Amino acid sequence: MSRPQMKLGAFLMAGGHHIAAWRHPDAHAQAGSDIDHFIQLARIAERGKFDMIFIEDAAAIRERNPDLASQAARSTAFEPLSLLAAIAVNTSHIGLVATASTSYTEPYGLARSFAALDQLSGGRAGWNLVTSASELEAENFASSGLRPHSERYERAEEFADAALALWDSVEEGAYLPPDGKAFADRSKLHPVHRHRKHFAVDGILESQRSPQGRPIMVQAGASDVGKDLAARTADVVFAASQTKAEAQAYYADVKARLAKYGRGHDDLKVMPGISPIIGATEDEAKAKYRALQDLIPDAVGVALLASYLSIQDLSAYPLDGPLPEMPQTNLIQSRQQLIVDLGKREGLSIRELARHFAGARGHWQVVGTPSQVADAMEERFLDSAADGFNVMAPLFPSGLEDFVTLVVPELRRRGLFRKEYEGRTLRENLGVASPNKG
Amino acid sequence: MLLGYSLSPFGHDPDAWRQARDGRLLGFDALLGQVAAAEAAGFDFVLLSDRLGLRSSDDLSSVAVPFEPTLFASALATRASRIGIIAAASTVQHEPYNLARRFASLDLISKGRAGWLVVTDDSDAGRESEYVDVVTALWDSFEDDAFLYDKTAGRFFDPSKMHVAHHKGPYFSVRGPLNVNRSPQGRPLVAHLLGDSNKALAARTGDLLLLQAETADGLVTAAAHAVKAVEAAGRSRRGIRLLANIVPIIVSGSQGTDDASGFPGYDQAIRIAGTTGEITDQLLELAAAAGLDGFTIFPPTLEMGQRFISEIAPELRQRGMTGPNAGTTLRDRLGLARWVHPSGLGEEILR
Repeated sequence: MSRPQMKLGAFLMAGGHHIAAWRHPDAHAQAGSDIDHFIQLARIAERGKFDMIFIEDAAAIRERNPDLASQAARSTAFEPLSLLAAIAVNTSHIGLVATASTSYTEPYGLARSFAALDQLSGGRAGWNLVTSASELEAENFASSGLRPHSERYERAEEFADAALALWDSVEEGAYLPPDGKAFADRSKLHPVHRHRKHFAVDGILESQRSPQGRPIMVQAGASDVGKDLAARTADVVFAASQTKAEAQAYYADVKARLAKYGRGHDDLKVMPGISPIIGATEDEAKAKYRALQDLIPDAVGVALLASYLSIQDLSAYPLDGPLPEMPQTNLIQSRQQLIVDLGKREGLSIRELARHFAGARGHWQVVGTPSQVADAMEERFLDSAADGFNVMAPLFPSGLEDFVTLVVPELRRRGLFRKEYEGRTLRENLGVASPNKG
Repeated sequence: MLLGYSLSPFGHDPDAWRQARDGRLLGFDALLGQVAAAEAAGFDFVLLSDRLGLRSSDDLSSVAVPFEPTLFASALATRASRIGIIAAASTVQHEPYNLARRFASLDLISKGRAGWLVVTDDSDAGRESEYVDVVTALWDSFEDDAFLYDKTAGRFFDPSKMHVAHHKGPYFSVRGPLNVNRSPQGRPLVAHLLGDSNKALAARTGDLLLLQAETADGLVTAAAHAVKAVEAAGRSRRGIRLLANIVPIIVSGSQGTDDASGFPGYDQAIRIAGTTGEITDQLLELAAAAGLDGFTIFPPTLEMGQRFISEIAPELRQRGMTGPNAGTTLRDRLGLARWVHPSGLGEEILR
């Protein structure tokens, strides 16, 4: 295989990524609370030799208004680490990436949880570090409200360093040493003593050494500090980019930051989201897309758009008019800008933007035949817009099944994707450096 | 008689690893093997203890499970299909919202077999009490029939059956609702290891109370105190299950109990030594004397765990003390009623 190899993640979500997926006639409406459904999805992705599955998270219900919340299947979900621990012992090769917040957990508990997932999976765990931007999450953890963007990142920086230090506090072979004198070989345990602004961490991690050195670090930060944190600590970044030019600019920006942390171009994989809607013909794909879009209630779509824009309410503005002017907020600045830019560029109304974002939630959408989808991916992969993709099927399991049986063989024919896993750990399959070897 | 099995990689004796020095015993497959054997022998639950509890420490424990217990429990739930799974989790290591999510998720993943062993920080009873109340209130975020899955109407759940806790107390401020579906058991089982400092909390909130004493007399006294505390909390003895922790030391007929002297004492369990028949007799006597519903065994070594499973469990069955259990959830297995949502009783969800 002389061509560079694309990395693939399967971003799993109950009945599907489309906001109205659960209402589709083919959908399993109770998918979000059915563990067997998720194990089935992980096995489909593993059959397709995906590098990883990915689970997003919010430590709160996502909508304050009970009437709107009650219309969205995403209002309830499994806690991601619990879900992936269950999947870990029912799969053998696929990587398992869970989202967890640095704002509402502590380094020791989080590092220990990911170490457990790593042990249970034989070295396939990954942590998607998020700082959490929603007020609803903040209200589940304190009365002080959401911390400002800069303070969240300051805490995240310190958190990431503490977690990495804890994972490195135990060497390979620290337990049951061959001399048999003690249960632990103390020369292989390196207690952490860090007392910084946000956290005090003392002791070793109560776990054996990770089979992959340490869990894979994933981030999706798109702000300036977020990209620096990713360049310094992450193995993978996810990104939401609509156009190829945006994706290329993001790719170049993040890769350019690696050198100042002494890292090489390939030490960090950039994997933007793609929402593929696949049909045997282009017409069939478009019909599938329309059938899903028609299921979006306007109120739900507009509320979702408002939440992406971090504004209280859009319902005061005419549905068929443009977005109002708005100030930049403390929240997810990058996604907000992406929506405003798209609205202006294509002259979209609030209703049109709402449907557009409700469908793929801000990610790149490709509607077409397997070869058209492979063409689009190949183009961005070869033109330095992506090292791989996080695949967001609109409907589960059918959208993932379609991708694995139709698009994956097409990518393989072009020499762009593996036929077999390279190794057993996520780190080996991603081909990123192990901390053991510097 | 109810039976629980406390899981550890080598056995609960701190020196047990010396007899079984095999790193594979720290892995998931070996631990699953122990659980599968306990399940096949009719045990009602496995207890995943966590030495860590309150603080980080200097090395991995040889006597507690080697992974974070709530995640280990999730993995186990998909590979052992009948046995209940009670995981220890500290009120210090997790925020109440995060802990409530873990156990609510575990109850869905295990299809109703989850229990939380509450590990408290004894220094502040007020915080511990509020913590447990917040967790249980979050578990009642949705009524039993809240989820409609009505595709045509576009209604996933009935918003009038969602309850937002809006909790503001001296220690925690938690809005809610929990973003996890209603538990198959109504809510996960709550277990406490009974000690002096947590007795009131355990009596008020526990479904399962685990008694620790070093002598038979001590056990009888501890059980009487536990029942008194439960009744003082306004609850019925019939609404809880009382089990004693025991360390079984099984000797063959010709050895005599002197051979048991190699095993040290344990402060969380009473040692019961003898032949299969003698131990079985003692369990029946203890259960009758202290008014117990059963026992949780803490095997000092893997061999003792295996012998309890292959010798004493069948003996108890033969004497009619245990039998087939048709219960599918942990509460069913323990003979406890499904948790009723407080809205059905006309109560507010946070007391």
